[in-house]
Amino acid sequence: MSSTESRPTASAAFLSNIIGQSVVVKLHNGMLYQGVLESIDGFMNIALNQATEHYETDENGLLHRYDGDVFVRGTQVLYISEA
Amino acid sequence: MSMDTPLDLLKLNLDEIVFVKLRGAREMTGTLQAFDSHCNIVLSNATETIYELVDGDLKSTTKDSEMVFVRGDSVTLITTPSE
Repeated sequence: MSSTESRPTASAAFLSNIIGQSVVVKLHNGMLYQGVLESIDGFMNIALNQATEHYETDENGLLHRYDGDVFVRGTQVLYISEA
Repeated sequence: MSMDTPLDLLKLNLDEIVFVKLRGAREMTGTLQAFDSHCNIVLSNATETIYELVDGDLKSTTKDSEMVFVRGDSVTLITTPSE
């Protein structure tokens, strides 16, 4: 397998490995969501549990705490990383 | 590990009241009648809340509709309403 082929595999592995972990998700509009990653699909649609909402960084004040599951539309996602 | 995609989890919210964040400081609350993979959604008994800054003060206006079809590309987030 060439190294170019192994890259998408590594990104898919990252996405499946972080399920159940605490993650941060940044959107194009600057909103930042921190929560437990319930699930993610190939479009980067994301379901978070126990999500909190901040603007740009979690050092900025808490804007909202969501009790239910939060669905984030994939096209709005800038990045997802481990919290 | 759950094999449910984020869109599968959204099905659990059908016929329930949902809170939808839209682009441009808008929100919509209503009963989720239908949705698809583009996040096009149909809400019944919906209330749209529009936030705007008027002379530095945050002002919100609401608009009710019996039934509304929201085009998916303006959807950023879907969750259950808190409080």
